[in-house]
Amino acid sequence: MEQIDTRTPLDWDALQVGETFERFEYVLTQEMIDTYRKGVMDPEASFPTIAHKVDVRQYNVKYSDDGSVNARCAFHCYNPPVAGKKLTVTAWIADKYLRRGKNYIVTEAVSVDEDGRLIDRVITHELKQPSEVGKKWGGQ
Amino acid sequence: MGGPMSNAVRNIQIGDEVSPVVKEMTQEAINLFEGSAGQTGPSQFTDDHAARETLGTQGTVASGRMSLTFAIEMLRKYFGNDVFNHTGVVDLRFLRPVRPGDTITFSGKITEMLREPNGSKVMVDIQAQNQNGDTTGVGKGSAIVPMAFLPSEE
Repeated sequence: MEQIDTRTPLDWDALQVGETFERFEYVLTQEMIDTYRKGVMDPEASFPTIAHKVDVRQYNVKYSDDGSVNARCAFHCYNPPVAGKKLTVTAWIADKYLRRGKNYIVTEAVSVDEDGRLIDRVITHELKQPSEVGKKWGGQ
Repeated sequence: MGGPMSNAVRNIQIGDEVSPVVKEMTQEAINLFEGSAGQTGPSQFTDDHAARETLGTQGTVASGRMSLTFAIEMLRKYFGNDVFNHTGVVDLRFLRPVRPGDTITFSGKITEMLREPNGSKVMVDIQAQNQNGDTTGVGKGSAIVPMAFLPSEE
């Protein structure tokens, strides 16, 4: 049976910069770390949290849209996460802007582990018209 | 382990090149990256149909966050784990899709050194290019190198 999407359709004009999402918690397992390190071909990769895309996770829980493309991403390393520890993520809408007629949303998130260690901060600029990628690069 | 900065004092100069990191992108690597966070459903990263529907591309693309990870690896190896994993920053703009089958070379150059209370903030220009010489990403990175790792000033 098809599930009904109960999320709020994105109204970019109405989206409030500063909106903070419900906190999100997860346990980073050794298996997650090992899989991540295989994927990025780096046995010492220290921040598997990058793959969890935590800055947009709660946005995507609340809002439905046509998808997105990552246009820019900044990552601040504070302390590598430890396997088995619970991480708490706080994410919010940091900015939104219109460039060349395209809508962008900037999300930001900070992760802290169960011992209070600051883990990382990630800031992502997402283009909310993902079909622009195909228009520009689809034929290549 | 830990790169050159971990064990020895280094004389970092503006204009120094950071050793490049080269990655051969495969669909398997992309699937592992996405799957490591439990994202197992079809997406523009893992499924051709989803990529066509969402992006209008002929096939899948790699998440920009993979490129971010590779730029972080390059700077971690340059600065060392002890330095980069606690003070490192990478800010990357994604200019062109990275696809399975691409070979991406990440390179960097030291552009600036700013005095901080306990060391120097070393700024790096970052570039990513595919096998055709097309730029797929550009950005900046930095790390704060503690005084103990820098040559003493006369």
